[in-house]
Amino acid sequence: MNLIAAAIAVGLAAIGAGVGNGLIVGRTVEGIARQPQLRGTLQTTMFIGIALVEALPIIGVVIAFIVLGG
Amino acid sequence: MTENLSTYENAFRRYIKYCLYLLSICVLGWAVTSYKQVFLGLVLGIAVSMYNVWSMHRRIDRVGQAVTEGKKVKTMGSLSRLMTAGLAVLIATRFPEHFNLIAVVVGLLMIYLIMLIDFYFASK
Repeated sequence: MNLIAAAIAVGLAAIGAGVGNGLIVGRTVEGIARQPQLRGTLQTTMFIGIALVEALPIIGVVIAFIVLGG
Repeated sequence: MTENLSTYENAFRRYIKYCLYLLSICVLGWAVTSYKQVFLGLVLGIAVSMYNVWSMHRRIDRVGQAVTEGKKVKTMGSLSRLMTAGLAVLIATRFPEHFNLIAVVVGLLMIYLIMLIDFYFASK
């Protein structure tokens, strides 16, 4: 049962992070391709966006490892 | 363009700087106070989150460069970042006499708090 709980936690978090990362990276790539002179600003926004999106799957992995370990 | 890129580098250096301040406070707390497990856990978590941010910074820079040069990037390195967080938790669960698990988790998420606070004050 613990294994299923860990798998669901990591899997759902990874789905969310995948969709979020895809949206952020896609739009940023589009923006840089249109206006290469704005690369720094767009990269900074992408940096913060990806960091915030990845916080949740990290919590998911942590919960999964705690469930597996306990 | 160089000036524009330097805003990105400056943001990354600022995050690392705040992280190092926090890390030094935690090391001081570990040395002085009796809450050694909590502070050691915070140190482990902040160190891992610093690696995560450095990895993210490098990958994003590579993506930007690849787009301007018309090349392709294969991976963003999300899996390796998740696995380093898992490694930190594994270390904390393996050595509970040295690391407090809750402190490790709080340390892992500390860099995101720093980024949010910095973004709030930078955009003000």
